[in-house]
Amino acid sequence: MAPTVGIIANPASARDIRRVVASATGLQIADRANIVLRVLAAVASCGIEEVLVMPETGGIRGHVVRGIERWRNQREKRYPHVTFLDMPVTGTVEDTKLAARLMHSAGVACIVVLGGDGTHRAVASECGRVPIAGISTGTNNAFPDHREPTITGLAAGLAVMEHIPEHVAFCANKRLDVVVNGLPPEHALVDVALVTDAYVGARALWRTHTFRELYVTFADPQVIGMAGIAGLIEPVSRKEAGGLMMRLAPAANAKLVVRAPIAPGLIDLIGIDEWRRMPADTSFEPCLKEGSIALDGERELFFSRHDQVSIKLVENAFRIVDVAGVMQFAAHHGLLRSEQSHLAEATT
Amino acid sequence: MPENPFPLSKPDLQKAYRIMRTIREFEERLHVEFAKGDIPGFVHLYAGEEACAAGIMLHLTDRDRIASTHRGHGHCIAKGVGVREMMAEIYGKATGACHGKGGSMHIADLGKGMMGANGILGAGAPLICGAGIAAKFRGDGGVGITFFGDGASNQGMVLESMNLAAIWNLPVIFVVENNGYAESTSVDYATAVDSYIDRASGFGLPGVSVDGTDFFGVYEAAGEIIRRAREGGGPSLLECKMIRFFGHFEGDAQTYKAKNENEDNRAHRDCLKSFAVRVTQAGVIGSEELEAIDREVGRLIDEAVASAKAAPLPTPRDLVTDVYVSY
Repeated sequence: MAPTVGIIANPASARDIRRVVASATGLQIADRANIVLRVLAAVASCGIEEVLVMPETGGIRGHVVRGIERWRNQREKRYPHVTFLDMPVTGTVEDTKLAARLMHSAGVACIVVLGGDGTHRAVASECGRVPIAGISTGTNNAFPDHREPTITGLAAGLAVMEHIPEHVAFCANKRLDVVVNGLPPEHALVDVALVTDAYVGARALWRTHTFRELYVTFADPQVIGMAGIAGLIEPVSRKEAGGLMMRLAPAANAKLVVRAPIAPGLIDLIGIDEWRRMPADTSFEPCLKEGSIALDGERELFFSRHDQVSIKLVENAFRIVDVAGVMQFAAHHGLLRSEQSHLAEATT
Repeated sequence: MPENPFPLSKPDLQKAYRIMRTIREFEERLHVEFAKGDIPGFVHLYAGEEACAAGIMLHLTDRDRIASTHRGHGHCIAKGVGVREMMAEIYGKATGACHGKGGSMHIADLGKGMMGANGILGAGAPLICGAGIAAKFRGDGGVGITFFGDGASNQGMVLESMNLAAIWNLPVIFVVENNGYAESTSVDYATAVDSYIDRASGFGLPGVSVDGTDFFGVYEAAGEIIRRAREGGGPSLLECKMIRFFGHFEGDAQTYKAKNENEDNRAHRDCLKSFAVRVTQAGVIGSEELEAIDREVGRLIDEAVASAKAAPLPTPRDLVTDVYVSY
């Protein structure tokens, strides 16, 4: 029997203030549902028969059900059997976490995630060793690659159908753990930024004069946001060991500045005081004594001088589907190729 | 004294709390008084939604116009309309903000930029486009803000107004107060385009969604949106996801809500409680200072109710005054 795949699609990503302070777009709910349908078609073409989907009240479910019915009415079997998880819906990130836990318990072979870095973080915190196949539907997404979701769906389907060696199909990822006062750690997949605003407010980061410290699992000049700032100073790939930490300052006060794309269409000067490599399993204590902690680009926690904060990079924290690796392997080994014997005579 | 980590000064934080507490006390008191049968017409209470009104209105001055809804008491208070005049208006008394002729759903104070609560769902949207045109012609940096609920967002005139605001680049902001229910109908059932942000983007307007129970979230987002409109950046939409502690109207049995929904909301999603915890934990305002504001507001509402009850009704002769405006 073919393995089951999970799909978690967040209806609330890409709705924040960056649509006003920058030129960020918003992906419409109907388009998100359309992406789910594309993923369903892709995994079905690989032989997946059962898919578990997170329920939500943002509208994706209704469009997906309607889309499946329309193809069924046309007597086309394009999609696998879809079951929506039986769980309460709160409209918060807790839905994503609960769905990831339920999918993990149900033994899904992989979870396809539609959302921004925050959605992927929520799934990664609960899915254990179940690999994630990420699709970007957020604003400043550095973690999920930007590619056509049909390809991500195909790679997920091929990877879990065991046509591909595990070391090719999946790869390990780094993570940052933030501990405040000895409490259970909060996680970030890409970056932890400390800023002087001591309130969560509208969450996004765009006032560069408030940026003080930055910790990244990878630094890539081809992405926007905090990992992009680090990438323009010293690139660190996703697959190499360790990350990078930087001390930042208002541009007006810094000897060194970098012109960085911090949000879609928003390029600003960031002051750089110093930077260095961040080895794994070493705790860093921030110099900033009061402010807020942004996880993957969104302010999530605030802290004062009475709080003890530490940040640590963890290697091999969770797994993802290596979409590029899978598709290369599939091409080289002809996994999506087949002979059509009834046409063999005609073509020879 | 600890450094203030917030984007508002201490006096402004106290002002924000006073506005929210005044709205809460006003509505809680109306809930009690309405049950006694002395208040004519309907009242729709804003309790639970205070952070939205306060977080937006603190960025405005009297030159800025707002167009409100049937649930307009919170907007009025946050925009600076007198509490005594409001209470008298709701009691239908001659000393009311509209001389007792409007009642709860028609409180207006043009001097404060409050163009009126409105019993017609979505009707504030075209009105605010007019205010936006006026502000644009005056060139004084004024903005117009219209509020409407998740139910009224389906009214055609709201959509027409977004189109008008977009093509004329008006300094107008559309605020969706999404409390999850259009009267008693769930938003999940009644709204085909599931996101208000998607709706705005259909007209080329940027849209932002915030937790409407978080004062600081609303305040920060509204500040950016209003600044943008003042500077000629054009219209936009702000969705505040919020909750109402009471029913659609006073007397609503609320059978459409989940068991314990109101109790859970009061326990876990009370914007006043979360604001108080945040500012006291930061050491910026002491709990005794907040309690002093609570007492002061309590006295104000007591006085407003007493004076409204004692005030005279309009006379039959008043029926023919204030019908037309001279200009």
